[in-house]
Amino acid sequence: MSYVALSFTLIFVMITMLVSMWQKLDLEKDIAIGTIRSAIQLLLVGYVLMFVFKSNHPIFILAILSVMVSVASWNAGKRGKGLRGIRWRIALSIGCTEVLMMALLLGLQIIEATPQYIIPISGMTIGNAMVVSGLYLNHMKREVESNKGEIETLLCLGASARQAIQDSLKRSVKSSMIPTIDGMKTVGLVQLPGMMTGMIVAGADPVEAVRYQILIVFAFTASAAITSIILSLVSYRLWFTKDLRMAPLRD
Amino acid sequence: MTNILEINQLSKSYGDKPILNAFTAQIAKPEMISLLGKSGQGKSTLLRILCRLEAQDQGGIQFHGRSYEEVDPKEWRKKICYVSQQSYMLPGSVEDNLRTVSQLHKTPFDMSFAKELMTSLDLDHMDWNKKSADLSGGEKQRVALVRSLLLRPEILLLDEVTASLDMQSKQAVEKLLQDWQEQEGATCVWITHDLEQAQRLSHRIWFIEGGSLLEDNDSHDFFENPRTESARNYLQLVPKEGRSSCPM
Repeated sequence: MSYVALSFTLIFVMITMLVSMWQKLDLEKDIAIGTIRSAIQLLLVGYVLMFVFKSNHPIFILAILSVMVSVASWNAGKRGKGLRGIRWRIALSIGCTEVLMMALLLGLQIIEATPQYIIPISGMTIGNAMVVSGLYLNHMKREVESNKGEIETLLCLGASARQAIQDSLKRSVKSSMIPTIDGMKTVGLVQLPGMMTGMIVAGADPVEAVRYQILIVFAFTASAAITSIILSLVSYRLWFTKDLRMAPLRD
Repeated sequence: MTNILEINQLSKSYGDKPILNAFTAQIAKPEMISLLGKSGQGKSTLLRILCRLEAQDQGGIQFHGRSYEEVDPKEWRKKICYVSQQSYMLPGSVEDNLRTVSQLHKTPFDMSFAKELMTSLDLDHMDWNKKSADLSGGEKQRVALVRSLLLRPEILLLDEVTASLDMQSKQAVEKLLQDWQEQEGATCVWITHDLEQAQRLSHRIWFIEGGSLLEDNDSHDFFENPRTESARNYLQLVPKEGRSSCPM
């Protein structure tokens, strides 16, 4: 795609802005900032990826993956406001997921050990793990708030933190995985996923594109489950004080 | 001899509002204690602090001479158990609720004891497979009490546990707790607004006002000859012949 053709895509932004002005949504500034940021970010990433692909050095791949995990943890951590130390726990969960996924994909030679494969597939699984982490924390906040009586009842009967909050953990892990599982059920019928669409537009064989998409869908499901379970295990104690009372959450 | 429980200078505020103010009391021997006072005087907060569901701002608690700081909260709560006014059923059946204690602590479930307690509370005909969520308010309250008694705590902290019960169930609960206290050598600290009940059941009265213990008196003496003006006013709010309802 030429830069001239790319500039025509601004028509979509113009349409959105006009709708915002017409309906007095007051979103023009946000749309402008979003447009500029996304364009600059994506172009920069394009150049960075080009450099990394050319150099093919593991240190650059590791650096990019670290940035991805850090940004994802920071962003998902916003859902856990009031939980001290939640961000490094999210980073640990997403990091473990990424290591496990890559170990399987590379170890079983499902993908080639080149940045062209590692970086995009990692980006998608880390992004999905970020969404799952945010969903998990949202559900947990709601669970703990609405089941305070139940949790305190168990504490009164001498339960440990884990025993008292176990049902809430289970429900939150389950809820955080539902969008990924639902997506898996309807993929290809309701929406054509981004990766597959991109490959087809770039001229790849559709069947080949579908194969990679299947890989991604399955990887998403595993990463959702692993991230959510690890996060629940490393963070459940944050809902309690050191002396096993329910911790008051600061907003 | 060491006291069973010593409460020393407990203070607690919510923001600028003081709830407990240097509350001090001792329990030397197993007995029934009624905690009386108007609403909003810190009674429930006191029980929640004694069970360590809430932290005090100042002061300490000792159980058999050991400070609360030295005892693991889980072990503490197995000995000092709080039963709230609002009975929360855990998900599952009645039996699941009754088995909670044995499952939590990996101890054998004492079926005959559970049946005995259920019978004492007129729940002998209850289907144990019934979903706990489908029980009536009064049934939930009684099952919650049985669930706590299966822990065999040394001190039971009861927060208006008979408030939502009919007369027959109320009497069954009173009888069970009296027997329990005598047979197990346990202590019950009981919040109630039913003065007749307090008079009938208690050995001692703790009268609380403004978060302070104004009177720690023998039950008979408290009702016949209260020492403080506040207690006299509190008792006068309900005429003697009608002391089975809330004084508020």
